[in-house]
Amino acid sequence: MLRGATEYAPSTFEERGAAVAFTTPLLSQTRVRRGERSKLEVLIPSLSQGAGIYVVAWKAVPEMVTMTMHDRYLHELIVNEESCSPHEIRRATLKAARRGLAGPQAAQAARRALDEDEEQGTLTHYLLILAILKAVGLESPDMLKAGIGTEEGQRLTRQLMTRAAGSLRLDATVLYARLAEIADVASPVGLAQSPRPGRLLRCLSDLKIFKKGMEDWAEAVPSDTSPVALFCAEVAQHTIGIGETVVRDFQRRIEAIGPLMRDWDNEMLRIRDHATRLAWLLDGWSHITGAWDVAQSEDSHQQAATINDLFRILPLLPRQESSRDLIGDAKRVSSSSQRRSVRALEDWRTGAMDLEAIRRIEALKARSP
Amino acid sequence: MTEPPEKAGIPGLPPALETKLLDIPDEKFAEVVRLLERVRDHPDVRQTFATIRPRLIQTRPDRRPTLKRVLCMPFEDVLESPGGRGKVEQPLGRIERRTIEPVWRLVAERADQAAFEQLDHQVRETAPGNRNALLNIGRVLWPMAAGILHAAAAENGSLRGDAPLRRQVEEIAGLLDIGLIVEALKSDLSPKPVPALEEEHTDAIERAAQAAARQAPDTVYGLLRIAAARLATPADLLTVLPDLDLGRAKRDLPAILSRLGGLVVGHLEERIARPDGAGDAPPIPPEEAVVLAEQLLASVTATGAAMERRSDPAYRGRLDAVKRAVGAMVSGSVLKTAATGILSAVPAPPLAGPPVVDEPAQIAAEDHARALRRSAGLAEALGLQQPVDDTLKAMGNGLIEQAQALLDAYPRLMAHPDDADAAETNLYYVLRLLEMVAGPGKAESLRLAIMASTAGRYDD
Repeated sequence: MLRGATEYAPSTFEERGAAVAFTTPLLSQTRVRRGERSKLEVLIPSLSQGAGIYVVAWKAVPEMVTMTMHDRYLHELIVNEESCSPHEIRRATLKAARRGLAGPQAAQAARRALDEDEEQGTLTHYLLILAILKAVGLESPDMLKAGIGTEEGQRLTRQLMTRAAGSLRLDATVLYARLAEIADVASPVGLAQSPRPGRLLRCLSDLKIFKKGMEDWAEAVPSDTSPVALFCAEVAQHTIGIGETVVRDFQRRIEAIGPLMRDWDNEMLRIRDHATRLAWLLDGWSHITGAWDVAQSEDSHQQAATINDLFRILPLLPRQESSRDLIGDAKRVSSSSQRRSVRALEDWRTGAMDLEAIRRIEALKARSP
Repeated sequence: MTEPPEKAGIPGLPPALETKLLDIPDEKFAEVVRLLERVRDHPDVRQTFATIRPRLIQTRPDRRPTLKRVLCMPFEDVLESPGGRGKVEQPLGRIERRTIEPVWRLVAERADQAAFEQLDHQVRETAPGNRNALLNIGRVLWPMAAGILHAAAAENGSLRGDAPLRRQVEEIAGLLDIGLIVEALKSDLSPKPVPALEEEHTDAIERAAQAAARQAPDTVYGLLRIAAARLATPADLLTVLPDLDLGRAKRDLPAILSRLGGLVVGHLEERIARPDGAGDAPPIPPEEAVVLAEQLLASVTATGAAMERRSDPAYRGRLDAVKRAVGAMVSGSVLKTAATGILSAVPAPPLAGPPVVDEPAQIAAEDHARALRRSAGLAEALGLQQPVDDTLKAMGNGLIEQAQALLDAYPRLMAHPDDADAAETNLYYVLRLLEMVAGPGKAESLRLAIMASTAGRYDD
């Protein structure tokens, strides 16, 4: 069932797998992917300081690890998902949390996150309607005055959208469907003109704070853990660099809404690719930035333990995504800092539930669902 | 006078504002403290400082240095905390805060005035947080003050026949004698409290003890008191003490061990005397009770092991009494209240109308359930194995019964999606409680039963 740890050098995001916010300490932020013949696999980082991973068949996980009720529920939801991308995993995770399986605070946070997703979707859709009307020279102060939520506003919008569709030589229903499709893809990121960034852009901002935090910590607390903190900062910076390039091109293509409508299939393919790539790129980071935020109130020993815990689950970029061999670098950092303090994952050996560790993970879920 | 002159007409903060100072963000708090420091001699402002002292201890903003504060540096770790027992953790072997004023007066009156004024001037020029500058001032001030206090303690009547005060003045003088050694040790044992005594800490304590012994062997006990006061579990020091090389104080080791042991046991007795919820005091919350019980039990065990060599029946009896009191606290705060704390949080199925989801009650019940589960780790040592097992079993059975009632009522609530949502959430909340008290094995069958009852409602 559990063979020795294997070398971990994924080429693609899909091979790297998507991080799952399990609450069982040993499984927290482990990655799930479709392996051979599309069978689900869990990639559990080695307990011996990052020297490889264990690849475990999805079905075998509950027999191998004493899982929380939340994780057993989530495990079944993920099995029922067709794909295994960050989007599907997030949907399943929020569903499990919303049910209350990760505690009342996490349930409240999940409800808030789902509401925000909905609001962000509506806002993005609205901004896209304004953008398309502007692009064809049909800005209407009356529509804005009435508000898109009112009956009068909706009547005016329908009228203007029909005219806009005519200008673009499209059927109005096609134009509506296309805007809905863009909104669906764009709302997790957010449009350039959006007053509120999408959750992926917020995650990118948090990552910048995290990167600075790691650099400052390494300087302020010289120790065995300093090289680990600096490596975390480097990986964060590398991710930020790629992420910013993706976001720029993504937003530029949507802003040019006229050309987008004219070359719909090609442009939408690129936009969709960018959104997917950004989601994979930032997958697993919100847990890390949230954990570091929580650690701000702790002493330097606890912070060192947190950094080492985070190093174990750091979302290293797969080979195809980066010219730099981050996986090789991680191994070097790991082998040069042997005496690092890490939190013991006793439940692995004893089979007993570590309620305090679970509570810490659930508290994080309540902050960053 | 060495302190800033009192400025007339500066009002203190109204009580409501004083209380508000306990809630404002740390940076704002530090800013207000810096402003208040400028008029700190005003009686109202002193009162304000007394009110906010617990937060000052907690946040330790860089306060404007004063000569009095520099004088207190070597013994600040053993100064009593304000607020009395129960509000703030009292340090080991504390020195009463009332001692500061007479000590300060003695030093201010008897010191060489020119030297004293010079030091005061230097302090005023020192920026908050410039520790090196303060140590340089201490290097001159502490030996001078120590000499004055030793002499005063030896005089007849100079401390007005107040024996406890006189004893404490002598203790302070002893610590001032080795002020620089104490300060170096404090740096090595930082930040306070040191969670676990590591080898590097033990080495630092040994080095400091040898340095103090070279100066005067009888100062070593005071130094070790400071070391113990900086540890999260002071009893840890007793465990390593027999193996430390105390240099010239080597021969005093048995006496030091005995005194320090007595101090630690007394401290344990004092800590357990507080939180039993007796009288008008509110009962200690279950989680707090278990954390305290773990700390005390670890200290009792470490102290017992360290004092074993002395086979002193008095210590053994006192430690056993502490252990019994810890057991009584766990029993009273965690076990006896479990039914109210855990089972009462589960809502009964509604006879009519929508189900109620009470999340604050669930949060409190989960805290209690975690405390109960955690108390199982202490049960054997506290002689509570049977009561803990019985309580866990009773809670498990009670939760299963309650879950069954909710499951039975579920079908009639399915017609309305909101009601079904609330009923489902209540079921999963009971599942969590059951998982905590009875473990995932027992909870799994309930989970499967819930999944079977709610099947088809996944696609929300």
